[in-house]
Amino acid sequence: MTQAPPREYFEFFGLAPALSLDAADLQKRFYELSRKWHPDRFSARPPEEQQIALDATATLNDAYRTLRDPVRRAEYVLTRNGFPIGEQRTKDVPPELLEEVFELNMALEELRSGDSGVRPQLESAREHFLSLRAAVDGELEELFRSHDSGGGETVLSAIRGVLNRRRYIENLVREVEKALGARATA
Amino acid sequence: MAYSNKVLDHYNNPRNVGSMDKNDPDVGTGMVGAPECGDVMKLQVKVNPATGIIEDAKFKTFGCGSAIASSSLATEMLKGRTVDEALSIKNTEIVNELALPPVKIHCSVLAEDAIKAAITDYKEKSASRTNATVA
Repeated sequence: MTQAPPREYFEFFGLAPALSLDAADLQKRFYELSRKWHPDRFSARPPEEQQIALDATATLNDAYRTLRDPVRRAEYVLTRNGFPIGEQRTKDVPPELLEEVFELNMALEELRSGDSGVRPQLESAREHFLSLRAAVDGELEELFRSHDSGGGETVLSAIRGVLNRRRYIENLVREVEKALGARATA
Repeated sequence: MAYSNKVLDHYNNPRNVGSMDKNDPDVGTGMVGAPECGDVMKLQVKVNPATGIIEDAKFKTFGCGSAIASSSLATEMLKGRTVDEALSIKNTEIVNELALPPVKIHCSVLAEDAIKAAITDYKEKSASRTNATVA
């Protein structure tokens, strides 16, 4: 009789819950598990087993989508460790970050209302936001390593802070790209 | 899109958008953010120091329609109230007025937080001014 696989993503992949992981290894495991649980292989089995295979495939796809993306992977680990994003209040966002994001948004808004002449400024704003995002991703990588070598709660809460910051920067990137896109079609 | 007419009205014609001098001793500034959606909201009140009544309120919000509508409505509710009355404003009043759906309730919480932050900032300023006069 086929047993249902673990619902926990790392366990399903046979991995330790580490934040740094090898993308090629993850992909290899994903292909192997996809073959193992492919519903076609269960077509001659009893209905309960077919259902298990179907559920396993759905979980596997969710798990792979989550684990292969560093930000989603970190969100998953944080949520499982009691640092979910949903229950936060303002106090968890440092005032300097809000000031900075507010100023960046103001500058972007001013550029968006400008004529086609502001395109170079929009492009340099995009470069700036992308470099902020790259810096945040570098910070995350380092924190992932500290987490994996037993960093504990302090590191998890630092990761929470960096992910919050990243979300704000991601919004700015999206807004500036929208502004550039609108100008390209005009 | 499930925005109510009142949300759309405040979103399309936001009241009291702008900013005041945050170094003005009669102005309190609250800057708050919601990391789950990346919103940032600035709300300011200008208080008459003699009466404690809020004479003007301004906001600027970068975020979704509900966050903009919530802060726009908040500035309307603030004008004419005393600072202590302002502190008693609850997010549920905003939810009811704008008919916000459950997934957008956090926008009203953000507006309530912004009001509290602005009033707290004003109170801290006026307390330090009183101390300075005494000293």
